[in-house]
Amino acid sequence: MEFLLENILNLVGFLVGLAIGIMAYIGFRNTGSPTLFRLTIAFSSISLGFFVIWSGYMLEDFVIKSGTIERGIQTVGIVIQTIGYFFIAFSHSIKSFFPKSNYFRSVGILPLFLVSTVQLEHIFRSISFILLVYGAIETMLSYRDNKNKGAISVAIGLTLLAFGEFLGWYSFVFPESILYTISMVIKIGGLIALFIPVSKIPLKRIKFDDDLDKI
Amino acid sequence: MGEYRTQMKIIGDILSTTRDDLQDEDGATVTYLIRKANISHSRISTILKTLVSQGLLERGDSQGSNRYKISQSGREFLQAYNSFTKFADNFGLNI
Repeated sequence: MEFLLENILNLVGFLVGLAIGIMAYIGFRNTGSPTLFRLTIAFSSISLGFFVIWSGYMLEDFVIKSGTIERGIQTVGIVIQTIGYFFIAFSHSIKSFFPKSNYFRSVGILPLFLVSTVQLEHIFRSISFILLVYGAIETMLSYRDNKNKGAISVAIGLTLLAFGEFLGWYSFVFPESILYTISMVIKIGGLIALFIPVSKIPLKRIKFDDDLDKI
Repeated sequence: MGEYRTQMKIIGDILSTTRDDLQDEDGATVTYLIRKANISHSRISTILKTLVSQGLLERGDSQGSNRYKISQSGREFLQAYNSFTKFADNFGLNI
């Protein structure tokens, strides 16, 4: 059951991320907007992250057959997804995300070399959680300005992804419980909520025009 | 406090004005665009020059002054701009 849900989640994540990423890329090619470029990177990363984890499960199921996914592959997938979540949050202008002191900058990355892949997975899950919560709050706040109902759906999607990420992380405390399954169901719901408003954007008759890139 | 507008939004405003809100069939004057798009003369001159060179606006002469009309490419660009503005709005962002 958990294996099936994990596969569904990663496939849905891959497809939703890919669809939104392609849409953002078409937008970037048509308008040259840097915001759309950042969204392209964000959703391409999210899509690739889900794809890496899905590949890991497929590899395990058909080749390795050890019963559990290779931890390193899962961690790489989560790191790539976190980069995507970072670009969503970055689009909302995170201005003081990195420490300003050079000392903290230099030692900030040090812990990453001192921990195992399991601990790395925890670290990146928690970073993803923070970025998703930030993105959800900013998106919800933007609703006050533009009254766009799609923003509510995206905010709910990001919130569900954040909550799913939190439960996924917390399930390590209770490994045999239903928490991880719930977290996957919640994340699938979040991805669907993300896609609903984007799917309503009319993209007919929009074509590429290289000359427009120069604006 | 006034709303911050990105360069893209200003271009969108100029193109929308030349498409939907023209004074007459000859096109819009620079003064009219300055008022409608709420932008300084020096800034709009640069933007108009770029838009004309990219083929999004057509420049004509009428009654001794330059007039600007939206081109077919400009209409397509504006359509794309409007679609992707909605797309970015969903994420709480401005393009």
